Amino acid sequence: MIELKGIHKSFRSTEVLKGVDLSVEEGQTVALIGSSGSGKSTLLRCINLLEKPDKGTVRIGDFYFDAHDINGRIKREARKRTAMVFQGFGLFENKTVLENVTEALKVVQKKSVEEADDIGKQYLEKVGLSNKKNNYPRTLSGGQKQRVAIARALALDPKIILFDEPTSALDPELVQEVLRVIKQVSEAKVTMLIVTHEMDFAHDVADRIAFMADGEILESAPPNEFFTNPKSDRAKQFLDRYLQRFNYTI
Amino acid sequence: MGKIFDFDFMIQCIPQILKGIPYTLLIAVVAFLIGIVIGFIGAMCKIYNVPVLKQITGVYVSFIRGTPLIVQIMLVYYAVPIFIRIINQKFGTAFDISWIPAVVFMLVAFSMSAGAYLTESIRASILAIDKVQLEAAYSVGMTTFQAMRRIILPQAIKIGLPVFANFFIGLLKDTSLAFTAAVPEIMGQAKIVAGRASRFFEAYIVAALIYWVICIIFERIVAVIEKRANRDEKEGKK
Ligand SMILES: Nc1ncnc2c1ncn2[C@@H]1O[C@H](COP(=O)(O)OP(=O)(O)O)[C@@H](O)[C@H]1O
Ligand SMILES: [Mg+2]
Repeated sequence: MIELKGIHKSFRSTEVLKGVDLSVEEGQTVALIGSSGSGKSTLLRCINLLEKPDKGTVRIGDFYFDAHDINGRIKREARKRTAMVFQGFGLFENKTVLENVTEALKVVQKKSVEEADDIGKQYLEKVGLSNKKNNYPRTLSGGQKQRVAIARALALDPKIILFDEPTSALDPELVQEVLRVIKQVSEAKVTMLIVTHEMDFAHDVADRIAFMADGEILESAPPNEFFTNPKSDRAKQFLDRYLQRFNYTI
Repeated sequence: MGKIFDFDFMIQCIPQILKGIPYTLLIAVVAFLIGIVIGFIGAMCKIYNVPVLKQITGVYVSFIRGTPLIVQIMLVYYAVPIFIRIINQKFGTAFDISWIPAVVFMLVAFSMSAGAYLTESIRASILAIDKVQLEAAYSVGMTTFQAMRRIILPQAIKIGLPVFANFFIGLLKDTSLAFTAAVPEIMGQAKIVAGRASRFFEAYIVAALIYWVICIIFERIVAVIEKRANRDEKEGKK
């Protein structure tokens, strides 16, 4: 189980996270939604400590830390227990597809080359990219790159996978292939926290929706409840705008 | 009555001028390698915003870039003896400046200079790698050292290769300034032979040709390295 309590984060004088509480049960998928600039990415990055929270506590399974105690060791321990899928893929361009998946297994988890390769191939198979295992990332489409990134995250066998807008950088025709893979991962009861603007997908896949505005989580509810009956005005406005956009694109 | 152009003398002085090559290469290669180390440290200080060290790096780079190499050489040439006298005075030691060969002074001067220029090129090469790759490396649990060595630097080196190669060629030619400190490199040797026979043009032509050939050979080597670095990525790995 992942549990965040009272997470605060400021960049210079602007307070981006104003005491966020959030928990994700084991095997659950939580979708974090909210308008751009509300602090969703920052919150995700405070979990694997790509950003250092100013205040608050984080529990990742049996691992616990307080923002005040963060040091190099805690950063690495937090990162060993989490994985992240970035909007911009973040594939290692000097490594093949298979090496992208196995690199951390070998270097961080100290697995043997054979074991790492076995695991790597198994997860590439899961995301349907076995045939690309010896390619370099630059030869892949955006959708394929993101599927490799998902395989890389899964292979680490983390307590939670953090997705930060995994389909926002993709050409529209490539979005579905990636969402399909994420859905499949969610159905396999991998614990996930996913920032997305794909409302249908969030509705379909998430066990719970957390709505964020101005550095706070204003609502956290099951999808049916949230989408049919949002409590806060901010959430209503947000959903209205999405529905409008949806109508226009038809 | 001497000849206008003494072809025979020109041929004769080739062997002696060739003797300068090891010095030329020594200064260029050592200064380049030390420069890479200084440059990498400087680049990391700047990229990671290390307080104090970052400011020192800034002043160092600005000073080296803003002063002629020949002036830097002179400064080192006269600074080192003063420095040694200060040490002798402070610690009661008796280091003798004449123990230190002139080429060491030149290694110091050229390394300092190379370090400053390479700080900027290495910094630019590292920053050319999309930051998300570094974050991804961290996110899978790598240390900064692992991320640099395994992910960022291999790519940065490849991107920077043409710049580094150009810089090395420039450095190779700049080593000719070491003759000012009586280092017997190519230019120094040419000057010695030329002075003996009072035939300068012939000797300098030989020096010029030797520099040119060395640079051509080096350019060939770089071309092979670049081709090899790019080959893998086009074909994928077996
Ligand atoms: N490294 C940073 N330095 C300064 N401000 C930042 C930084 N990262 C994010 N911010 C600011 O924090 C706010 C929240 O950003 P972010 O977490 O990226 O929002 P979201 O992901 O919801 O769009 C924004 O106003 C953004 O400009
Ligand atoms: Mg974001």
